[in-house]
Amino acid sequence: MTDTKRPREPFAPWDRRSLPGLFDVDETAERIGYYKWVEIKLFEALGGWVATVPELDVKLRLGTHCYHHAWHAELFDKRLPELREMQTERLTVPPNDHMVEFFESMTEPEAAHLTIEKLVGVYRVLIPHKIAAYTYHRNGTSEITDMPTIRILDFILQDEFNDWREGEMLIQSMIESPEELERAMSHQTKLEKIMLAAGGIAGPGSIGDPYVEIVEKN
Amino acid sequence: MRKIFPAEELARDSRFIRQSNEQRMGDPRGARIAGGNAGDALAKLTPGLPNGPDRARALMHGIFVGEIQALEGAGRTCWDFELGDEAPLALKLDMARQCWDEARHCEISVVLAEHMGTELGEYAENALLYEAACNPDPVLRLTGVNRALEGLAIDVFNTMKEFGNMAGDPVLEFCEDWMLADEVTHVKMGSDWLRRLTENDKDRLDKALEFQKVVDRLFSFNGFRGEEDDSPIQLTRRFRELAGFTDEEIDEIADMSRDARSEAIT
Repeated sequence: MTDTKRPREPFAPWDRRSLPGLFDVDETAERIGYYKWVEIKLFEALGGWVATVPELDVKLRLGTHCYHHAWHAELFDKRLPELREMQTERLTVPPNDHMVEFFESMTEPEAAHLTIEKLVGVYRVLIPHKIAAYTYHRNGTSEITDMPTIRILDFILQDEFNDWREGEMLIQSMIESPEELERAMSHQTKLEKIMLAAGGIAGPGSIGDPYVEIVEKN
Repeated sequence: MRKIFPAEELARDSRFIRQSNEQRMGDPRGARIAGGNAGDALAKLTPGLPNGPDRARALMHGIFVGEIQALEGAGRTCWDFELGDEAPLALKLDMARQCWDEARHCEISVVLAEHMGTELGEYAENALLYEAACNPDPVLRLTGVNRALEGLAIDVFNTMKEFGNMAGDPVLEFCEDWMLADEVTHVKMGSDWLRRLTENDKDRLDKALEFQKVVDRLFSFNGFRGEEDDSPIQLTRRFRELAGFTDEEIDEIADMSRDARSEAIT
């Protein structure tokens, strides 16, 4: 018979989650607000582009991915009040003006022959940066106090990886000449420069700082 | 990228052939869809009709291009309006969801079209549906697209579902039933947003309902969608009720169809 009075630890031996995390409540809310802004801008752009791309498979993928990012925006929107931000619009802002410039440049291509540029902006620049920032946040935040954010980010990252793979394959399938390759690379470089200035989708510190600060001794 | 993307610039590959609605209705094969353009007798779409399978194939092609335009229209509603007073986030989220649904409907209907023996480009496309999705007022756009056109889609999908049942085609029946469920959701979105966004604006509500009537009238040619036994496309009361239509509103569409039919005869 089971001894119901026999004590057990609150954490099973294999459960190594730790309490400390990199972000407090306010920092988390601020980052979530940036993420939500980015997701909104992205799903709006994907929706708008559907009518402008002639390639049927691309058209249908953009329509599908549009919803994925809208759902991400909704998840972040629901998380904000749980982080004490009741006026969710207040934090739904870009991290800086460079990020606004990034979206203006990313959404500039409209003509039917610019599908490569449209796809490159989303799948070779923005989504990889989103994956990086979300992964940094997911791995750095407290696995206990901020588990709701981790759960959200896990769902979202699953989508991001799948969408990135589909988008990258569409790009590869569309680049058939050195000229098209040049177009893709040139557009990517242009957008990456703006993203560099922005410091990532959540501004400087989007993926932390890997460098060690050395205090010089005299 | 511009706000409000014109219908004539919708991006298509070489298989698509664009025609005006008049040209498209002048296509003698169009009679197969409408069930009788120039004096032909109306008849409910059934596999037993001599031209029943041809009509069903033509209709499936029409569904496919309609789904593309519905996808494009919902996508543009995500982009065309500024977030906030112009379009609340929840409305845009609904439109993004509709994008996904319409993309799946494109996938379903292109496979069904092939299954039924037609192929992309066999029939022409007109851009009437997307044109309704270009209205600069989001309320009018949602009313015209989600209540009028998606409402028509409810009737069309239910008719096709019954056609599949009568033809002993479980694939067709299964797929149409799934798409029908989505369409009821889309029409309900339109009904809900119409009421929410015009709660304190009677003038805007009236304009939106008038726009819906204009769109409904456009798609009532020859009264092909109605409640009569020989209406090619049957008006579906039950699903429209689920989608937020009142009995009076459904009666009005039925009356409009009867009027269109009388006009066609005289």
